[in-house]
Amino acid sequence: MNKNRSKEYDVIIIGGGATGAGTARDCAMRGLSVLLVERHDFATGATGRNHGLLHSGARYAVTDHESAAECIEENMILRKIANHCIEENNGLFLTLPEDDIAFQSQFVDACSSAGISTEIIDPKLALRMEPSANPDIIGAVKVPDGSVDPFRLTMSNALDAKLHGAEILTQHEVIDILKDQDRVNGVELFDHAKKEKVKYYGKIVCNAAGIWGHNIAKFAGVNINMFPAKGSLLIFGHRVNKMVLNRCRKPANADILVPGDTICLIGTTSERIPIEEIDNMYVSKDDVDVLIREGVKLSPSLATTRILRAYAGVRPLVAADNDPSGRSISRGIVLMDHKERDGLEGFITITGGKLMTYRLMAEEATDLICKKLDVDKKCETANIPLPGSDKSDETLNNVSQKVYSVNGITQKSAKDRHGSLAHKIAKGDENEDSMVCECEGVSIGEVKYAINELHVNNLIDLRRRTRVGMGTCQGELCACRAAGLLCESMEEAGKAKDDLANFLQERWKGMSPIAWGETINEIQFTSWIYEGIYGLKPDNN
Amino acid sequence: MKFDNIIIGGGLSGLTCGIKLAEQGKKCAIVSSGQSAIHFFSGSFDLLSKVNEEEVTNPLESMKALPDTHPYKRVGLDKIERLTNDALHLLVRSGLNLTGQADRNHFTLTPMGVMKPTWLTLSDFTSFDNKDSFPWKKAVILNFSGFLDFHTLFIKDGLKKFDVQAQIKNVSMKQFEAIRKNPSEMRSTNIAKEFDKENAIDEFAQKANVLSDGFDVVILPAVFGLFNKTIADKLKEKIEKPVLLLPAIPPSVPGIRTQITLRERFQELGGTYLLGDNVEEGVFENGRLLEIRTNNHGDIKFEADQFILASGSFYSKGIVATHDKLYEPIFGLDIEGDSDREKWFDEKIFNDQAFMRYGVKTDQNFRAMMNGEPVENLYVAGSVLGGANPLKEGSGAGISLLTSLHAAEQILK
Repeated sequence: MNKNRSKEYDVIIIGGGATGAGTARDCAMRGLSVLLVERHDFATGATGRNHGLLHSGARYAVTDHESAAECIEENMILRKIANHCIEENNGLFLTLPEDDIAFQSQFVDACSSAGISTEIIDPKLALRMEPSANPDIIGAVKVPDGSVDPFRLTMSNALDAKLHGAEILTQHEVIDILKDQDRVNGVELFDHAKKEKVKYYGKIVCNAAGIWGHNIAKFAGVNINMFPAKGSLLIFGHRVNKMVLNRCRKPANADILVPGDTICLIGTTSERIPIEEIDNMYVSKDDVDVLIREGVKLSPSLATTRILRAYAGVRPLVAADNDPSGRSISRGIVLMDHKERDGLEGFITITGGKLMTYRLMAEEATDLICKKLDVDKKCETANIPLPGSDKSDETLNNVSQKVYSVNGITQKSAKDRHGSLAHKIAKGDENEDSMVCECEGVSIGEVKYAINELHVNNLIDLRRRTRVGMGTCQGELCACRAAGLLCESMEEAGKAKDDLANFLQERWKGMSPIAWGETINEIQFTSWIYEGIYGLKPDNN
Repeated sequence: MKFDNIIIGGGLSGLTCGIKLAEQGKKCAIVSSGQSAIHFFSGSFDLLSKVNEEEVTNPLESMKALPDTHPYKRVGLDKIERLTNDALHLLVRSGLNLTGQADRNHFTLTPMGVMKPTWLTLSDFTSFDNKDSFPWKKAVILNFSGFLDFHTLFIKDGLKKFDVQAQIKNVSMKQFEAIRKNPSEMRSTNIAKEFDKENAIDEFAQKANVLSDGFDVVILPAVFGLFNKTIADKLKEKIEKPVLLLPAIPPSVPGIRTQITLRERFQELGGTYLLGDNVEEGVFENGRLLEIRTNNHGDIKFEADQFILASGSFYSKGIVATHDKLYEPIFGLDIEGDSDREKWFDEKIFNDQAFMRYGVKTDQNFRAMMNGEPVENLYVAGSVLGGANPLKEGSGAGISLLTSLHAAEQILK
């Protein structure tokens, strides 16, 4: 099992979320040899389970000046380097009759001291700008919020890391941290595809596994005091708002409504959970009821909008080392050099923070890695655009006009999802243009591109890359079409049937907490098709 | 307008009930909102395929093991055998060509390549006596280029278990060029429309004959005969090898044809079929439903001596769920089901889901309950009745056919 002994990476990064992928990119751009390992797929943890809000920082302005300042700086950077992952929607902070209007001036002052531009808008004008907002508002402030697609963002970082020579292993779970006395020198992985154990060696191991970093640290014999905080969200089937809507008050439950792609999201709740439950996130009936009740206050039309899914993510909050009770919790970035902290060389942990600050977290982690390796290279990730984001030679329109012949919907959708890399997708013939997913406008060409170039191992991965099955039907018809294509290009058919069954189960997990109205009708129909007509079972082999 | 009987719902159960009553000289109307479960018909009617997770050989026998609250038990097992015969004859009189018997299930092949027990199978499809063997050794699976709704690899994989050597081949047809231009048009109904015109069938059969050289059987998606009732038979004549049709992703072409066939039978018997209309409300007096009002007909009231509610389950909107309740949306009838939504579901999608058993409450004569009292002349039939999980039991079509015949008999008494 020591077959990789011969190769020693400069750095092995654990975790395929935004932080891990971002760190892999940064390290690779600074010339290090990099291995990124992920137990499932990119963005399956907290990265893919949040609002997708491109924070202006305004939300934290009053309570956490440092986070607010970090957010606005990263916000402006992401607009430059990741424009294909971002919608520049702007945001409104709304004051409702039940809120204290005096908070507004405190809020505006705090924003300006953090460097966040604000504009107080007359409520009547605000309603013209955002007709979906609650008509009872008594105050509104405009801020540079936006939306970010975390799946796309993470994938772009991973792609760019690869372009700079990084190696990436998904479906590889860390089962042990390898040590030579008081020095970490590698990882032992379980390859879920091949069902075998394998070891890889590196000079530095970087723990970027979010809340799961708690367990990774344990493998290394060090203790990090993590406090998982569950946040639940609801996805609505339409995009009711065009601007991000926030409540102008101290951060509380369910006070952000974010538009993104074809949908919008309300969130979040916040609840401490035991560390044992982090792999078993469920959204309770109470969570759902709170989210709806508060969401309707921001935008009354949510009361009659169909809910597509409910899901929950886990924030990796870290307690200060001298406080095992977890009372003094930081929401900021936590970078640990375990040499300094625990006397263990070759092992660092980057955690805390938020999606917005992933790049900064990556930069800080990479600075430390470079220092340890004695590499003197500057960080360039804030200046060089991610793949798909560069506007250099042609405008996106020109690219896609050259590439696509007929199909307006898939063309636009693909461009939205993959930016200037969309030219890699279709040959423009009828075959490649055929529609797999009608809700989200996904073509055969896009599915094939994702399978061939974006590390897709199964239908659930494919959904994260292309939005197959994310629309109103939640995979009712497209799942089977996509399974057929996946099966053609990579898998054995028997496995593809189980994959399809898993995909339906994964969709159901998000539907069951909100399965009334159209959703219960849809799931009954889906069950009739797959189980009744097709004879699909949870285990088909 | 005055009818003898008005049926709410134009699916399998509403049409069966309407045909039965019209055959007995009743002046009937069916109000149908549009599509029904027949539009995703697999090609077979199930009576009872599974009881307590065990596959059923003789449905009539196995029904004894069902709970007393099951619709079959409530109809009465002494009547079931006769009703299964009546149902088969009614369907055959309507013009459907079916094989199968109620005391012995046969099998059909699903698009996953799995054998599934069933009761009656439409002649388009192939019935098998044995689930463990396949009569042919070498199969060619043909699909149309660009048609994503037929899963050849899944079929091939399923056939491996029968030691069948299968090969997948694609056929390009110039007749489909137009529908392929729009990326969402290459669906089974549009392909069927091209074949309905009869000018593509010769060319296709020729190609199929060339491609099936050296094989024992030709497997094709069931996309033949939407409005044209003879094209599927013509195809089978023109292809030299045996043809095995398998369902594609819905809508089902043979299903739509079946719906049309039943609807035409009802109309030929003098029935009035109001398509695309919805019943909005009813007027009740002294425990009777006097008249209903529909969306399309505004002030015009529809009166009848008896009414039948055959409005289907959730996906047909016969029952509606909101975050805090279940209700029957037309009349507000009593519901058998839990009002706490946490009780509706199991976290595993393939497990038995409680909501599948929910439906309208009825008395022992299948009359709807309203505020705890039966409505004297409002009968309930088909999947809007609760008490069964038709998906887990494979009993959906059987319940629709038999409870609607039973309701018709109550009315004809």
